[in-house]
Amino acid sequence: MRATKIAVGAALLAWSGLMFAAGYVARWATSPIEVRVERIYGGSNPHALLDEAWAYVEQHFVGVVPSDTVREYGAIRGALATLNDPYTTFSEPLSRSIERDHMRGEFGGIGVQFSLNDKGQIILKPRPDGPAAQAGVQEGDILIAINGQQLPSPARLEDAAALRGEEGKPVTIEVLRRGQRLRFTIIRARIELASVEHRLVTATVGNATAPVGYIALRAFTERTDEELQRAIEALEARAVQGYVLDLRDNSGGLLSSAVDVASRLVTETVVAIEQRRGQAEILHRTRSGITSPTQRKPLVVLVNQHTASAAEIVAAAVQAQRRGLLVGQRTFGKGSVQLVFELRDGSAVRVTAARWLTSARQALDGNGLTPDVLVEGDAEAQLRAALNALAPSLAAR
Amino acid sequence: MEDAQTRMSNAIRNTALSLLGMFIGAIIFVMGLTVGMVLSRPGATLFGSASPFAFSTLTSDTRHGSTTQPESPLDYALIEDVLSRLREQWYGELPSREKLTDGAIKGMVSALGDPYTQYVEPRFAKILNEDISGTFEGIGATLKQTPGGSIQIVRTLPGTPAEKAGILPGDIIEAVDGQSVMGLNTTEVAAMVRGPRGTQVRLTLRRADQPKPFDVVLTRARITIPLVESRMIDGEIAYLRLFDFSQPASRQLERDLRELLSKKPKGLILDLRDNPGGLLSQAREVGDLFLDAGVFIIERDYKGNEKVSRTTNRGIGQDIPLVVLVNGGSASASEIVAGAIQDRQRGTLIGERTFGKGSVQSPQTLSNGAQLRITIERWFTPNNRSIQDEGVVPDFIVVNTPDDQQKKRDPQLDAAVEYLKTGKAPEAPSTPSR
Repeated sequence: MRATKIAVGAALLAWSGLMFAAGYVARWATSPIEVRVERIYGGSNPHALLDEAWAYVEQHFVGVVPSDTVREYGAIRGALATLNDPYTTFSEPLSRSIERDHMRGEFGGIGVQFSLNDKGQIILKPRPDGPAAQAGVQEGDILIAINGQQLPSPARLEDAAALRGEEGKPVTIEVLRRGQRLRFTIIRARIELASVEHRLVTATVGNATAPVGYIALRAFTERTDEELQRAIEALEARAVQGYVLDLRDNSGGLLSSAVDVASRLVTETVVAIEQRRGQAEILHRTRSGITSPTQRKPLVVLVNQHTASAAEIVAAAVQAQRRGLLVGQRTFGKGSVQLVFELRDGSAVRVTAARWLTSARQALDGNGLTPDVLVEGDAEAQLRAALNALAPSLAAR
Repeated sequence: MEDAQTRMSNAIRNTALSLLGMFIGAIIFVMGLTVGMVLSRPGATLFGSASPFAFSTLTSDTRHGSTTQPESPLDYALIEDVLSRLREQWYGELPSREKLTDGAIKGMVSALGDPYTQYVEPRFAKILNEDISGTFEGIGATLKQTPGGSIQIVRTLPGTPAEKAGILPGDIIEAVDGQSVMGLNTTEVAAMVRGPRGTQVRLTLRRADQPKPFDVVLTRARITIPLVESRMIDGEIAYLRLFDFSQPASRQLERDLRELLSKKPKGLILDLRDNPGGLLSQAREVGDLFLDAGVFIIERDYKGNEKVSRTTNRGIGQDIPLVVLVNGGSASASEIVAGAIQDRQRGTLIGERTFGKGSVQSPQTLSNGAQLRITIERWFTPNNRSIQDEGVVPDFIVVNTPDDQQKKRDPQLDAAVEYLKTGKAPEAPSTPSR
């Protein structure tokens, strides 16, 4: 009996040991596959592969390894590049702040234009009567430091972004002029980026002449509609009989601004149809209740191959309603809408979120608008052609 | 009856016992499973659980044996934010997660600013790995990536399929066998072009003076070119051309050089044009033929180590007036030899700026099968010039135009002969570079 008990106990012990081992092995045998799947295809850390790659770079790369921020910006650019969409882009904080200023149409600054020369230096050109000009900055001065911070060499345009800032606050710059270092402390003022220019021109109608309002829109910013209104008022005071709206070299801007501008040119209509993935169409209509002399007087719109996006929306609305002739060259053909999302560190991603069609349901991507009067050649010849195209309707009045 | 009862209770007891045994066995099986599961997490103990994040990171450690992978300080919050915006808003169909990850790693790696540190996607890494037997052939062209990301032909080597098909330097490769090369790097495009000897590959090329891309079909072939070519020019100038720096290069060069020297030439031309390089050890031995004792090359690696290689004083070609011919196809080992000869003022360089490949890459295989090629070492000439950044600029720049090539003219060689015969420097557009 005792022997039986020992035998049973030993058998039990052996059995449990075997089961334990089987359980243990069962887990090991199944685990590697699971592990690998999780690692490659995301799950808890979809970026494990990025860490893996970077660990090698940090260990073995012969040069200077950039910061995590630069690394992440690079990763974002690389991921966006796989979309094959030239309009879905990433902006680092400094360039984003410049973009934002441009869309707003105003900012706190010192009133200089800056450009990059082929040596990678930032060349200044002060606006007449701007704060920089008043402080003594001259055209051609080379910017070398802002608030004691030396610019890198070669510099990028974004490096000049620190010139901008809060209105009323001083900024100290150092420039190089004919080999001499000069230092200026300048109080920032409100700088407006004019997106609208206007002047009086003359059209020949038969043997007589007629005053015509010429309005050029350079971009569609938050302030464009307001600037346009002021331009119209100024030209109406000169009793213009018609308008030439110049959209040449206007690469676009805010869709809302384009709708506002169109509302001053055409009578109530759908300006553009926006199509998003898997969503109902959005109709962008002119704002109601707008009355403007530009809706009634003869109108011609100048376009060229750089007229794009929001500018094409406006030109298409005019053409669709036969409000006026398009004169110039075939437009760029950008029928997509980008949304801008600012990220937590001030950088931004611009995402192609929609396509838009003209009110005649014409898609513009890659096509562009064909002008009613095709004019190649220089800017002056195109303007003359526009005035000629305007003449018959002026005569009819 | 009693017997039967006893038998019966015995049977019940036995059944109960074996049931109990199986029950205990099952419990212990589950215990074993649990212990096995917990222990299968590297770095985890029975009492603490590792986060899934540490789990995957550590797994990659053990697979590749690297010991000091730091904890990632980067939480990828920005890129996650961007990806979620894309998922919500982007108009098209998003590429797969793997493709986005491939792109992200490429973008990350390009932030290093080094064109040779490259991420090779798994599908191309596979081709590279399959080719260890060496049966795959290319087409005989060197590639480079332009700042805009296009893949450009730098050189076509004489006698190769690329040259025979009329491919020209400057041509941009748009597609290989109809597959776009957008977003791919030079290593990946080279992998696409490679394939078994005798098979065909179709390249879609864009050329500056042609409005539309066009197709070229080439047959992959092994080109056996001689390693060394040597002859006397006009009976007084010795000419030696080295095609690459593979294993027997220096020995064969020395043999031919000895033979040429026996003819008492007035000067020697070493032609390294279109020589893509090869073994560093061969470069040093070739340099040793022409240079006396001194610094030959400085290697600096990622650990900050500096290794200085020197030439000895036993070369048989140390005294004869020397011109080295170089061009944009002279790369790597060719640039080392030319750079050392220039820096040590042993000879005169004529031709065009060299390729600018003065670094060593080490390939690592990532857990998804991709290859990460990392620049681990850079080369510097004796005067400490970085070959990688600038290439080697000849003392006299003489350009062979495509027109020259077509008409079988060789102004670079003519200039070298003239210089050695008369000491007359080549004419403009030549400009002394130093």
